[in-house]
Amino acid sequence: MLAYTLKRLLTLIPTLLAASILVFLFVHLIPGDPAAILLGDTATPEEVAQLSAEMGFDRPLWIQYFFWLGNVLQGDLGTSIFFREPVLSVIGSGAETSILLATMTMVWIIIIGLPIGILSATKHGTWIDQITSSGAMLAASIPTFWLGLYLIMIFSVTLGWFPSSGFPSLSDEGGISNLRYLLLPSLTLAAPNAALIVRLVRASMLDVSREDHVRTARAKGLHPSRVAIKHIFRNALISVAAAFGFTFAALISEAVVTETVFSLPGIGRLVVQSILRRDYPVIQGVILVIVVLYMVINLLVDLAYARLDPRVSLK
Amino acid sequence: MTASTRGSKTTLRGSDHMALLEVENLEIAVSARGKLLPVVQGISFSVDDNETLGIVGESGCGKSLTSLAIMGLLGGTTVRITGGSIRFDGMDLLTLPEKDRRAIMGNRMAMIFQEPMTSLNPVYRIGDQIIENLRQHQSISNSAARDRVVELLTLVRIPSPSERIDSFPHQMSGGQRQRVMIAMALSCDPKLLIADEPTTALDVTVQKEVLDLMADLQKRMGTAIVLISHDLGVIAETCDKVAVMYRGRMAEAASTADLFAELAHPYTRGLLNSIPVVDRDVEWLEAIPGRVPTLEENLTGCAFHPRCALATELCASNVPATTEFKPGHSVQCHFAGKVAS
Amino acid sequence: MNAMNFLRNAFAGRKLATAGFIWLCLIALAAIIAPLIAPFDPLEIDPVGRLAEPGWPNLFGTDHFGRDTFSRAIYGARMTVIIGMGSVIVALVAGGAIGMLSAYFTRLGHFLMRGVDVLMAFPALLMALVLITLLERSVFNTILVIGIVYATTTARILYGMTLKLKGEVFVDAAICSGAGHTSILIRHILPNLVSPLLVQASFIFAFAQLQAAALDFLGLGLPPEVPSWGNMLSEERIYITRAPWLLIYPGMLIVLSVFSMNLVGDALRDSIDPRFKDDIAGV
Repeated sequence: MLAYTLKRLLTLIPTLLAASILVFLFVHLIPGDPAAILLGDTATPEEVAQLSAEMGFDRPLWIQYFFWLGNVLQGDLGTSIFFREPVLSVIGSGAETSILLATMTMVWIIIIGLPIGILSATKHGTWIDQITSSGAMLAASIPTFWLGLYLIMIFSVTLGWFPSSGFPSLSDEGGISNLRYLLLPSLTLAAPNAALIVRLVRASMLDVSREDHVRTARAKGLHPSRVAIKHIFRNALISVAAAFGFTFAALISEAVVTETVFSLPGIGRLVVQSILRRDYPVIQGVILVIVVLYMVINLLVDLAYARLDPRVSLK
Repeated sequence: MTASTRGSKTTLRGSDHMALLEVENLEIAVSARGKLLPVVQGISFSVDDNETLGIVGESGCGKSLTSLAIMGLLGGTTVRITGGSIRFDGMDLLTLPEKDRRAIMGNRMAMIFQEPMTSLNPVYRIGDQIIENLRQHQSISNSAARDRVVELLTLVRIPSPSERIDSFPHQMSGGQRQRVMIAMALSCDPKLLIADEPTTALDVTVQKEVLDLMADLQKRMGTAIVLISHDLGVIAETCDKVAVMYRGRMAEAASTADLFAELAHPYTRGLLNSIPVVDRDVEWLEAIPGRVPTLEENLTGCAFHPRCALATELCASNVPATTEFKPGHSVQCHFAGKVAS
Repeated sequence: MNAMNFLRNAFAGRKLATAGFIWLCLIALAAIIAPLIAPFDPLEIDPVGRLAEPGWPNLFGTDHFGRDTFSRAIYGARMTVIIGMGSVIVALVAGGAIGMLSAYFTRLGHFLMRGVDVLMAFPALLMALVLITLLERSVFNTILVIGIVYATTTARILYGMTLKLKGEVFVDAAICSGAGHTSILIRHILPNLVSPLLVQASFIFAFAQLQAAALDFLGLGLPPEVPSWGNMLSEERIYITRAPWLLIYPGMLIVLSVFSMNLVGDALRDSIDPRFKDDIAGV
């Protein structure tokens, strides 16, 4: 297993490098002088020239890339124009929110999406299946921000059960109970994704139920629910697990909208604000972090795949 | 192609005692595009302990559906039993509550299928899959079950059974997987084993091994076997009695010896003639002219008449009744016995 | 693959999908004849009659500038259709070409698909945001960005499908009869891809709406003066309690249209060649 992991890591590196090149080029693709962009609108021509020389913007592009890469590997992602702090710490302060939000959302997706998907598949052809399938598709068609706005209207404004914006850190007073700030946002984010999982679980289970080994399982006189879970679902899990990984990765970017609606101090909102503020170092830094995260998740999905399906060769 | 000692064991129908399995006038229909199309139209046969019944016919004649119907695996909205009865060990299977039906499946009646490559669950070890069957029907501890599985694997001639018990299906060959299926089917010592084309997907040499194994196990355990095949040669070698199906009906049924001694139905004659024989030089391979009509083509009269050399107007308009051509040898043909031997 | 038969089979007995299809036709119709059916000019400001409740003559009420919501909704349908079809065209043409050619010319393909893999390392919305940063806000750029985002998955899907088709006997037969690459691609492979492409198109259309709406909401999508359902939601966001209708109508329109497109795509997918069903699990 370890060898397999290392092998996969190795194949990851070229892709990471290629992606890093794209991210690096990002600043240079923006029309205008990179140094001027980095310093923002308020810089004087002298400051621009000085930074240009310091940063080596007059050197060939590929040399600049290597210097940049070197910095990145040492943890230096540049300095935010707006915050005048290292990009990494700016990102770090938003990380807690985003990670907690993503985790809570995944929890909802699993506890809502899986059972409904399984139910839908086992009751295939009945009205239960029709309702859950169509319902899931409907839920997947709702724009997250619209859902978020209405959840705020109902639960925060009208009923006053949950707060509608902000998120104090877990290390502030309130501790774990501060998670209630993330309840509505995570539900908002979970809804369309849970719907997709419902549909995927349903489709996978229906496909598997047509396979021969399910017939064998039934021929053993097993109870239908045992057949459904231990045989059908267990096999469907192989494709579903992959989807979970990608869903988690997709959550990272979809959280952008939710964080904006609920004014959460997360990385998503940071990206949007940085775009509006033209804080390019931060944008670049966030993209890099997210891309790396995405790839790590892909790797984990591969490993899970190997664990779930004995046919996958660990060579 | 001799079946010398086999044929004399039992007659096909109606001894005084109740046979282990009695199928009477079974009718199965498929619903397609809002219509109900009959697939099996009134077939009857029986099997006794220690007997092997072979059901032979071309693809689409309904033999597989019949076996699934007996086993109770016709679950679903598209295929349904629409008439007739199935009695097993004195019980009326069609009126049995679901729970009791499942108590029989894998326990007193078991089935093995055509595709060993896909009939086992790929994510569980083969030992665990057999244990699952054991623990479903018997109160037996896990370790006792494991021992029993090793016994079974030895019985079906899987080498190194105590190691192979932890193999995954994809680590075994097709022939080995079919043996595992047999072991699983026989794990609770069933009275009836239904084998739906068990050797069709295997190499010829492996075929013989598996069939020999089944015959051997029958001798040991006294299991009744229903063997389904499209290969008349296989049937001839292994079965005590034969039922020939064509398009949902029983064209001919007799003990193997009687059947091969004197064929009564033109279709059976056609099947026999189309088997190439190794030790003779033949210029043409004889085939039955025409093709099996599709489900939706509605035919009047005898189902076989469009392809039959002896067909007359009578055949085109009247469905032949089942007649007793000889004692224990039934046929559905207006001209039974008039085929040139 | 007879197109009419395909469509008829797809919708047979599926009431919801047929209803969705009809809804989409209505939207398309509204988009085309918008100037004829819109009771007011969508850009016309009426400070006096602002935030009026739905009724007569403003069927959907008015917004904070006093603009008629119903007329804006009708013109918004235009944007829906334009964005949807535009994104589909970009994604299918770019992604489809890359996917097909990569599968057909294997050496080139390995290189290209690695590139696609790298691009797929960027989550959808993020990629859209990044691209938007580099471009200014306009209808064309929004279409371009969303199209590129979905071109990657399309390329992947077409790659898989073309690979399967390439291995089929009829391609060998065509090669044996001396057909050139272009001929094989256009006359043999492409026709088989039409139905899966249609399915893919409907899903992209649906997701493009959601992406466009999200971008609009963030203030990074269509320019604010363009009437689109997403923009309507974005601008009227703060009036959610005072004038809830301003958010209900555009929101419902988006939901219904996306839902319809999903239903249609689903129905189409169930009717296509079973070989390809695994390849299209939705976008």
